[in-house]
Amino acid sequence: MRYDDSPERDHIPHLFYAVFGNPTIDVMLHEEVEPVGHVFSAIVVLDSSMLLHPTSQRALVFDGAKRDAVLVVNTSLSAEQIIRLVRKYSLAEDWDGKLVTIRAKDYDGDLAFPLLGALAKALWIVSLDDLIAALDTLGLNKKIDSVRRAYEESKPVAVKIRAEETDLARKRIGERVELPVPTRGGWWDAATYEKYQRAAAEAQSYSQRIGAMPRWEALAPGLIEFGPAPGKRNIGFKTSFSRYLRPVIRIEKCTDCKLCHIYCPDGAVDFGRIKINYDYCQGCGICAQICPPKAIEMVGELKAKEGLNEEEVTTVAGALREYGY
Amino acid sequence: MTALIASVKEVPAVDYYTSGRRTCAGCGPAITYRLLSKAAGPNTVFLGPTSCMYVANGHQYLTSPYAVPWYHTQLGGGGAAGIGTAAAFRALMAKRKRKNEDVNVIVYGGDGGFADIGFAGLSMGMSYDYKRLLFVLNDNESYANTGIQASSTTPWGATTTFTPSGKVRRIGNVRLKKNVALTVAAHPGVKYVATATLHPPLDFINKARKALDSAGPSFIEVLTPCPKGWFFDPKDTVGFAKLALETRAWVSWEYADGEFSLTYKPRKFTPVKKYLRPQGRFSHLIDKQVDEIQRMIDDEWKYWEEMDRQKRIILPWTSAPNRAIVALA
Amino acid sequence: MSTQATVPKTVILRKNYIWTGTRSVAEAVKIADVDVIAAYPIRPYTGIMNDLAKMVAEGEFHSEIVVADSEHSQFEIAKHASAVGARTFVGSSGVGLAYATEAIAVTALGQLPVVAVAGCRALDDPGNFGMEWNDVFLFRDFGWLVSWAKDAQEALDMTLVAYRVAEDRRVLLPHFVAMDGAAITHVSTPVETPTKEGATEFLPPYKPPFPLDPAYGAVTKAQHIAPSLIGPEQRKLVDFSMKNSSVVIREAWEEYFKHVGRQYSPFLQSTFMEDADIALVSMGAYTKDAIYAAKKLRDRGIKAGVIRLRYWRPFPADELRNALQDAKALGVLDFSYSMGSPDFTGAFFTDVRSALYQVGSKPLMIDFVLVGGREPKVRHFEKAIRLVQEAAQRGKVTKIVHWLTLRGEDV
Repeated sequence: MRYDDSPERDHIPHLFYAVFGNPTIDVMLHEEVEPVGHVFSAIVVLDSSMLLHPTSQRALVFDGAKRDAVLVVNTSLSAEQIIRLVRKYSLAEDWDGKLVTIRAKDYDGDLAFPLLGALAKALWIVSLDDLIAALDTLGLNKKIDSVRRAYEESKPVAVKIRAEETDLARKRIGERVELPVPTRGGWWDAATYEKYQRAAAEAQSYSQRIGAMPRWEALAPGLIEFGPAPGKRNIGFKTSFSRYLRPVIRIEKCTDCKLCHIYCPDGAVDFGRIKINYDYCQGCGICAQICPPKAIEMVGELKAKEGLNEEEVTTVAGALREYGY
Repeated sequence: MTALIASVKEVPAVDYYTSGRRTCAGCGPAITYRLLSKAAGPNTVFLGPTSCMYVANGHQYLTSPYAVPWYHTQLGGGGAAGIGTAAAFRALMAKRKRKNEDVNVIVYGGDGGFADIGFAGLSMGMSYDYKRLLFVLNDNESYANTGIQASSTTPWGATTTFTPSGKVRRIGNVRLKKNVALTVAAHPGVKYVATATLHPPLDFINKARKALDSAGPSFIEVLTPCPKGWFFDPKDTVGFAKLALETRAWVSWEYADGEFSLTYKPRKFTPVKKYLRPQGRFSHLIDKQVDEIQRMIDDEWKYWEEMDRQKRIILPWTSAPNRAIVALA
Repeated sequence: MSTQATVPKTVILRKNYIWTGTRSVAEAVKIADVDVIAAYPIRPYTGIMNDLAKMVAEGEFHSEIVVADSEHSQFEIAKHASAVGARTFVGSSGVGLAYATEAIAVTALGQLPVVAVAGCRALDDPGNFGMEWNDVFLFRDFGWLVSWAKDAQEALDMTLVAYRVAEDRRVLLPHFVAMDGAAITHVSTPVETPTKEGATEFLPPYKPPFPLDPAYGAVTKAQHIAPSLIGPEQRKLVDFSMKNSSVVIREAWEEYFKHVGRQYSPFLQSTFMEDADIALVSMGAYTKDAIYAAKKLRDRGIKAGVIRLRYWRPFPADELRNALQDAKALGVLDFSYSMGSPDFTGAFFTDVRSALYQVGSKPLMIDFVLVGGREPKVRHFEKAIRLVQEAAQRGKVTKIVHWLTLRGEDV
């Protein structure tokens, strides 16, 4: 998934795979596109809102994870709350592993180094002394304290979830997609195209999505696809997965000036009766920023969907700081 | 007479560039594309040179946000794509192979494409007389699609991956920002050339309408703030467009039927540091360099004011940075 | 290959002229009622555009003629005009074609039936107006059909047939007509041409299945894709169309014969092969010199045949294999280089050798590389035939590649 779902665009969630030890070339090549089998010992989640969504190619956070994988999450929520989210949104298989939560804000504003400490604690592959020695060798002595404290203070908990407990597993294993049977030279038209588009859009996993793709015989020559009817939106790509904040309109304050409709980069604000279409809203915050009567408030996605007060939100400003800006 | 939109509530409701794409949160070019599609309406063909507005609008399969005909073209092919499309419509209508009616042909390209590799093609495009042919340059001051590299519209002192600020070479981009619109306006016989940005809300959409009605190939360069490339929080996209105008880092003007006028004249000049400092791409600049940029802007403004007074285009106007300041870099 | 049938009475009156290759192609474009032409000058193909511009200025037909700023723009203009539904014409030579390569690639991979002429010319450096095939060979793999003319008459015929084949729904691929620079572009020979009415009967109007036109609907063409989702399938469509094209090519030439009474064996022209067990294989204008040399040597008891490919893509492998089934040895007259290729042969040789790999008893093969634009003389072709004869008699090839027109040691 990593390369196939690039390039990076602001708010599009990304999966990055890191292999250490003695990787075989085979394993690495597969991981460029899709994990084959259960290969990951650890999953590190930098922003807990990512647990709510599959990626834009329908990968779940737990795809390819070993059964005893360790999950590390940067969050202010409790382990129980995280486990609830995982069960509901991001796990479709059995999991008999560990969870460790860490709040990066408590460690000098760094994100990477506290997570590293927590990961090391949960994985038991490398000792704290070795980790500190490595940081020293790399000239990262300033970060040693962060890593050590995170290592000492994090408390991995054992987690056991069975696939049959989750709705997601049921949806994923689900039915094969029914597609029209194409014949050679039987080019698709707008109506047939929409059938394929809908099937692919509703896929619950990466393989289901691949399974909904057309055979070459169905395509029309000349790289032809069809756009939505005027007034309709593109069902082939929805962007709800990129939100960690969502705008909420207090309609009683709204003066119907239409500026939020004008300025939404994603066209997610309906024009007639001002309303946000959350299938297409990315949570950029422009509408809240420019609204003259301040009728729009940005609310955490976890708060809006699950009533959870996540305070550890990776903002762009925070990420820039991490980059050294 | 062009039907101009008088208030935001009268904006056409339908987007012909609609939702459902992989653009960054807060994408300035996407806002502009929506407004452009509203200005143009359904009798339109869009051409998309390779750019964010190509790759981000697709990039998987079975996905299209274009509710009007749309075709990709090569990075340097924007001018030719517009001309080829317009020529075909004109030929087919003249030879009665297609009914005679107004069809808008709009090429929506990025600054990397139009200002560099597609510059010659754009020049060729502006030299013809096809009606309802519009070239819109969404200027986010970099090759954004490939991950933010310097183009000839990248401003002096900006960090990009090809012009990073480092210990030895500190300034970042050493070149001055090319004013493509002014170069285009210098072409003989052009009917309509303009610059715009996301502010005021109706400015660009009305300019697009005027351009399409102008009976000749037309061109608009739109400053489209880019959260990813300029390193700011996505919520501030529109805010930066406004700041760009108020600090005169961007100048909004119109050149219609040979007459030049400024279309936004800030009464109070906000200091440019208010625009530069909040953008991560300028965070390595020292105060002396920011002051130098202020001086360059103040210097250029004299020319813009003079052009507005005389109602015509005069050159040269670009102020080069002081050598001593450059040496600090 | 059909026997010479009686020309039906519906044949439209033909006219005879003495025309260069470029003028002949211009005539074909005019009577095909092309809608958009994109022009840019480079020797030796420019004459076509000069003639077309004059015709349009004089009102002989109506077309948009756009003078582009470069060959890249030229081919992009043609591609986009074709997408809307216009019949288009474009062309170039040498480095001009090289400059347009990006546009040329996407035209085939996007399946638009643009017809283009290549006036074959040596690539720079140095600048050289001489003839080589490497410019057209740049586009070997993209999906363009390429027919290769032997003279002005065939260039005209091939251009008309190109529209018919390219626009056929079973094909929908762009089509080059290659004509050797100078030898065809600039030499005047007698040419017959169908009238406009005749051409209109032969060529149905161009109706793209999905025109890029708001009157048709919201077509999205050439979206950026993720290869895991759809990559190979899109390439397969081009492959499939290219495979279909052979049938369409055959049909088109049979139909064309009914209109003009000029019959061609669609894929290759075979001369003297009935009693020859050695052959020269080539394309283009100089095959007539090869035939002349073969005729001369027949009087001296050496029986060689000459095979001329009329299509280079799709490569007529079956037809070539059939034509050579009794051949012991063959020489390829190769106006291309392929530096560093297996055995350091020319590029055309590689295609021929590859086609013959499948044959049980492979004939011996020699490559005669004729590059740098220097025109080979009849004695070069005679030498080629003698070398092939020698190899056939000895039962082996001692030197695979001969640079026949080179001054100096042929290492």
